[in-house]
Amino acid sequence: MTVQLAAGLSNHPAVTIKLASTSDEMLQCYMLRAAVYMGEQHCPYWEEFDGNDYSASHLILYVDGEPAACMRLRWFATFAKFERAVILKRYRSLGLFMPFVEWAKEFARKKGYPKAYLHSQHRLWQIMERGGFHKVDDRIFHFSDHEYGAFACDLSVDPDHIPTVFTDPMVLNRPEDQLDAPGVLEQSMERGASNPHAGWDGGRRAN
Amino acid sequence: MNTIAQSIGGAAVTTKLAMRMEDSLQAFAVRAACFIGELDVPYSEEFDGHDFGATHVIAYVGDEPVGTVRLRWFQSFAMPERLAVIQRFRGHHIGELLLERCRTLAAGRGCNMLYVQTLPGDVAYWEKHGWRRLVAEEAASGAKRIVAMVKAVDPSKPLPEVEAPESVVLRPEPQLDAAGVPLGIASN
Repeated sequence: MTVQLAAGLSNHPAVTIKLASTSDEMLQCYMLRAAVYMGEQHCPYWEEFDGNDYSASHLILYVDGEPAACMRLRWFATFAKFERAVILKRYRSLGLFMPFVEWAKEFARKKGYPKAYLHSQHRLWQIMERGGFHKVDDRIFHFSDHEYGAFACDLSVDPDHIPTVFTDPMVLNRPEDQLDAPGVLEQSMERGASNPHAGWDGGRRAN
Repeated sequence: MNTIAQSIGGAAVTTKLAMRMEDSLQAFAVRAACFIGELDVPYSEEFDGHDFGATHVIAYVGDEPVGTVRLRWFQSFAMPERLAVIQRFRGHHIGELLLERCRTLAAGRGCNMLYVQTLPGDVAYWEKHGWRRLVAEEAASGAKRIVAMVKAVDPSKPLPEVEAPESVVLRPEPQLDAAGVPLGIASN
């Protein structure tokens, strides 16, 4: 589900977004956040790396192959929470933020989530509203030195096309940002089912 | 010599070697904050492919990672580089603490010489802490010109007459693939 975005630039840098799926790509996400939150916004390490990184999906955006932006998505029962979204300083004039959020919304929508939710710093509220988000209530809360409001955006989920327990099992096995294309496990089907551990059952233990 | 802070605001200042994934991540995060966030260095230059052939030292204030240095090992010298201290913790000589840890590490391995590459504007800082230019004469002009500096691991033993050509040290290690730097895989 990698897409090429028209960033509206005179020299047409290639902008690519994908789900971080290797340890290198994960590290790139973490380093972008360290650069922006720890380096620019003086956030302490333990607030930035808060223990939720390994229960989340991470998106990474490249400009001409260079890591430029990232976002963390966490999955609740009824909504996807977008957080830790950063764009490296040198790429901030490219208009990347809303296309990146749109990509994340589409990603969540294809997984069947009817709602995206995020905490927006006060200074970005107008931008979030332009992006189709609305404040969920009047509360303003603060953490890590910034004021936030909670925003949500309804995603137009097609009930006939969201993954369910009745979806083709091999579709559910696909890389989550490429649900429309056959994945590596579908290729493995060519090998057939030799059931190499068929002799193992509940009564037999490895030790 | 300056006194190196043992505590800041009641929190102990300590150093340790990166031994676990999480330690390395902390070292890398400090560098990302300083070099990418503060100095606008591109990711692919900062994470240049040498990180997994090097030793990383991290400085902590309490449990907060606040500084780091990367130590690369060569046959005749050890090379501290990527020295970084988070902005709000500067002024407490944490950089010196990290370099001292490099020196004792090198001593423990029987290494005689520490070697750094610095910018002309920082030469005075290094000289104040006992380093000298590898080549005595003034380097060519230009603010970005790299100056090689060395320091004896054991102050009582003079440095051997070994030269470390900059071109050797700056080149990616031979086991790196042709790409050299671990750029993002953005094409698939």
